[in-house]
Amino acid sequence: MTQRPGSGRSDHHLRNVLVWWVVLSVLAEIGWLVAGPLLMPAAASSDAVFANTTIVVFTALAIPVALFVWVFMAYSLIRFRVKSRPSEAGPHLVASNGQQIAWLGITGALCLFLVIWGLFGMYQASTDPPGRPLIVDVTAQQWTWTFRYPSAGVSSNQLVLPVGRPVEFEVTSLDVVHGFDVHAFSVRLDANPGSVIATNIVTPTRLGSFSVRCVELCGLYHAYMWAPVKVVSDQDFAAWLRDAAQGSRGGAGA
Amino acid sequence: MTSGTITADTARSRRSLLFPSVVSGLVLGVAGGLLAAFAVSRFASGDRALDQVVVAGYAGWTLCFFIGVGAFHHPVRWGFGRAEPTHREERELAGEGQGAWRYFRFTTDHKVIGIQYLITVLVLFLVGGLAAALIRLEQSQPGARFLPPSTYNTVVGVHGIIMIAATIIMISGPFGNFIVPIAIGARDMAFPRLNALSYWLLFAAIPVFLSTFALGGFDTGWTGYAPLADQAPAGMDAYAFTIVLFGISVAIAAVNIITTVVTLRAPGMRWSRLPVFVWGIMLSVLLGMIAFPSFMLAEVMVLCDRVAGTSFFVSAFGGSQWLYEQLFWFMGHPEVYVIALPSLAVVVEMVSVFSRKPVFAYRTVVGGMIGIALVGCIVWAHHLYTSGANTPFDGPFMLTTELISVPTGVVFLVAIGTLWRGKIWLTVPMLFGIGALVNFIIGGVTGLYLADVPTDEVFHGGMFVAAHFHFTLVGGMVFGFFGACYYWFPKMFGRRLNETLGRWHFWLFEIGFYGVFLPLFYAGLHGEPRWLAYIPPKFAGANLIASMFFGLLIAGVSVFGYNIVSSWRSGPVAAANEWGGNSLEWTVPSPVPLENFETLPVVTASPYDYGGEASGPEVTGPSGPVTAPATEA
Ligand SMILES: [Cu+2]
Repeated sequence: MTQRPGSGRSDHHLRNVLVWWVVLSVLAEIGWLVAGPLLMPAAASSDAVFANTTIVVFTALAIPVALFVWVFMAYSLIRFRVKSRPSEAGPHLVASNGQQIAWLGITGALCLFLVIWGLFGMYQASTDPPGRPLIVDVTAQQWTWTFRYPSAGVSSNQLVLPVGRPVEFEVTSLDVVHGFDVHAFSVRLDANPGSVIATNIVTPTRLGSFSVRCVELCGLYHAYMWAPVKVVSDQDFAAWLRDAAQGSRGGAGA
Repeated sequence: MTSGTITADTARSRRSLLFPSVVSGLVLGVAGGLLAAFAVSRFASGDRALDQVVVAGYAGWTLCFFIGVGAFHHPVRWGFGRAEPTHREERELAGEGQGAWRYFRFTTDHKVIGIQYLITVLVLFLVGGLAAALIRLEQSQPGARFLPPSTYNTVVGVHGIIMIAATIIMISGPFGNFIVPIAIGARDMAFPRLNALSYWLLFAAIPVFLSTFALGGFDTGWTGYAPLADQAPAGMDAYAFTIVLFGISVAIAAVNIITTVVTLRAPGMRWSRLPVFVWGIMLSVLLGMIAFPSFMLAEVMVLCDRVAGTSFFVSAFGGSQWLYEQLFWFMGHPEVYVIALPSLAVVVEMVSVFSRKPVFAYRTVVGGMIGIALVGCIVWAHHLYTSGANTPFDGPFMLTTELISVPTGVVFLVAIGTLWRGKIWLTVPMLFGIGALVNFIIGGVTGLYLADVPTDEVFHGGMFVAAHFHFTLVGGMVFGFFGACYYWFPKMFGRRLNETLGRWHFWLFEIGFYGVFLPLFYAGLHGEPRWLAYIPPKFAGANLIASMFFGLLIAGVSVFGYNIVSSWRSGPVAAANEWGGNSLEWTVPSPVPLENFETLPVVTASPYDYGGEASGPEVTGPSGPVTAPATEA
């Protein structure tokens, strides 16, 4: 592979395009770092905060790469465009080994960074926070959710959780595959018939109302398979469990 | 010596025109299907009776359709040791002297089959697009407005599987058949009858699939996840049987294309001179041949569960939903590269021709495509990060999934390097090629979040995923297909497509496309699940914007359709070398004669040798060596 020595004119094009690339990248990065975090969804657990950070960081990394290609293409299309069928060939210009190795090396290094970041995230999500987690059994069936608190003998159609306490969901299904997902916690696991599988342990960090959604197509009323999530204070949670336990016992007698 | 015209025996031809043809195929097929269904209904009982009757009907239809269309004629003749077909019979089989009627018969000419594929793909896109319109209509308003949930679920599944099937074949079918043999300097495919068989299998699958509407549809979406598939209405049998037929069609086509490229290249067509487009097609069908059987197998198992009561996917009887998911995605992810490879290859081809410059790094981009095909086989489990199936796979599959962006990235190096300082002629096909590259970057970048295990938990099963793969499959790949249509239409039909209409098509589609899918990224980021017959009010705004911009997509596609029909009927006559390309398909006249080349060409240079020592490859034509110069005015 050979490359003709670049003429002075070509150097001037190269300088222009690199200047455009740097300027646009800096502007886009500033814009993204200001606007990006505002676009992110509400995060109500540390895992969700980390997921949002990941999205912001990956995008920030991708911006200069994407712009490199876009700016080169746009510059070429504007400056080297001919208006009608070209009457002569362009220069016989092929990649030097150095250019190819640099391209492969840089894209490879970026990929490696993403992998390491991801492995770190996986490690972080799988390390259990201190303290005994609250266990909630999640049972999906067409097309409702049931949440059981085995420690209190309570079942409910809404998911009520105390703030700041680690919780582990044990997820199963009675019929087909459903997808258990609390978007605000960034916790998600398929509900599989015949197996009970535990999610990562997550800790709700914000009081408020969220929702469980089903994210696997599970038949006719898939779109209706939502359940409310309430993150409440410890006292409110204890009070709710007490009430619910009485309700359950009464319900069981009926 | 071959140019002595053989006058077709018209009386004989006319007698044999109706049988065999698609007409006799349809008649016999419907009769056979009804007969088989009726016969089985005498014995079938219990709650699987309907599935048994339906599947018997499909089997009867398929067998009798192929008898009627004449697919067994020559194999049977050969099997009984009758005389080999004469040259004249072969030419008749290739459609000589049958006019337009040859498109409705079991015709072996690769050019006829290419055009059959093209029309079929466009029809499939139309049906899939109508389903997309219904989806956008339903999601334009919060709540359940226009379609009942069962209809909506079926429409989503129909949209998905039709579009996936159409995109798998959209380039390999029409252009892989029409262009590849000419571009390598062959007179036809290696197995012309198998070629016809692969097309008519696709054709036979379409009525099977559409019958789903009469059988209650299917509510699994295009992924057909079991065990939901086990309990779905009888419309599910249509889905499963279609996949089996489609899978056989794809496998036969793949064997044919690979054999053709390996064995029928013209003298001098070394691997290092093979057009990038041919590499892309060959690697794509090779990958499809590896990936598709597992999906076929999964659907055979679904049919067994449904028809015979086995329990491959019923966990209460030892089956597993994960078995289905693994088999499905073992096809499902390579399949996106099956779709991507030909499209990227077309784009590289066009960028070189319309910049009048060599492919910036030919060996590296071919190596990159081989790398995509290899690594593409080992990324499927990223669809199972959140399935609960296989945590040990998560890390390695995150690595391979992110790694595949390295060979894919080579395409972009080659694109910008080839454009640099070129004589860029921004024709309509080039416009679509550039659009494909621009859009595909957004599809690729949004894929990074999905490749990452922790963030995939945010997105999996959500609208973000849907927007992401539409950016790759439509923004990247279908744009490549549109480019290929504009690029090779003059060769295939001998007429030019209207350029102004082509530019309208591009801009309407591009703007409409961003208008539809950027809001859906946002809705998905904020937690909208996929497949919703019922949009919660929280996501109403984004979905309404998406639905309104869908109008631009309809407008763009209408312009495209009008352009094709009007140009085909009365467009200006195209030159043999419409764009000034150097590959072999530009050395033959348009429209291309039956046996492509009068004398087989001898290739002496790469088709991308722009501005090099020779100003184009020398091709030995019928009247001595002719040069196909890059620079003709
Ligand atoms: Cu569900």
